[in-house]
Amino acid sequence: MEKIQLKIFSLALLAMLILSSCAAIRTAPFDQYSYQKAVEIKVDASRLMDKATTPYQNHFQEVENLFRDVEKIAAYEQNKPNNGISYQMWKLLADEDKNLLAGFFKEWNEKGQFSKVFLDESKSQVVEAMDILIQYEGKKDKETENSLMGIILGNQ
Amino acid sequence: MDFEKILKELKESLLLVLGNQYSGFKKETKKDIEDFLNTSKDKLERWTKLLANGELSLDEYEWLIKSQKDLLAMKGLEKVGISKISLGHFKNKVIKTVVDIIKSLIL
Repeated sequence: MEKIQLKIFSLALLAMLILSSCAAIRTAPFDQYSYQKAVEIKVDASRLMDKATTPYQNHFQEVENLFRDVEKIAAYEQNKPNNGISYQMWKLLADEDKNLLAGFFKEWNEKGQFSKVFLDESKSQVVEAMDILIQYEGKKDKETENSLMGIILGNQ
Repeated sequence: MDFEKILKELKESLLLVLGNQYSGFKKETKKDIEDFLNTSKDKLERWTKLLANGELSLDEYEWLIKSQKDLLAMKGLEKVGISKISLGHFKNKVIKTVVDIIKSLIL
């Protein structure tokens, strides 16, 4: 009987430690959906950017669809607790006044089409920005694991 | 084209122009400018060559410089977190000044 009580107590203690550790971690934990959506949007955006040497009007609907996805993920990230950095990154990418993802498509719309040289250079900037976000999302997994392990080991 | 020389002149001119224009020119602003130029050196060199060769227009060059500023803001978020980064620190005035100085040096 004592053994069972001890097991229940240990499990409850472990559960409390895990729950308290979640509050202690200031970064939201790794989220497979966030990571996957970021990769998908990067791939879709990259393929669409390759078309910027042709007239924007021919791709208007594809750009609309891409930014519908961006809006959805930004709203998703906005409402996750302790997720300010990811949300701010999406805001920068989606801001037409910043020269990143939305800024690229705004410029394409205004200019009609890009030269190959400008496309290569500007696309490379946008892809680099998206990689920063994706890498940040990927790192959350390791950070979460390290923080949890630190708390668990520290309490043993 | 000696880009090292251009970069040196750009740095000096930028600090001088901005220092003269703003009485409250702070140490951290100077550091931001130096960090921006150092971190972006390879890209600046490539874009400046493309501009000099006529493969990029001045508008496109300016767009890219500004994208680099925005990209560094993303990197800053990742590294120092939301509470510490000053996204508005690096003003658009700096971008305009970089473009004006490069224009006067190579065009």
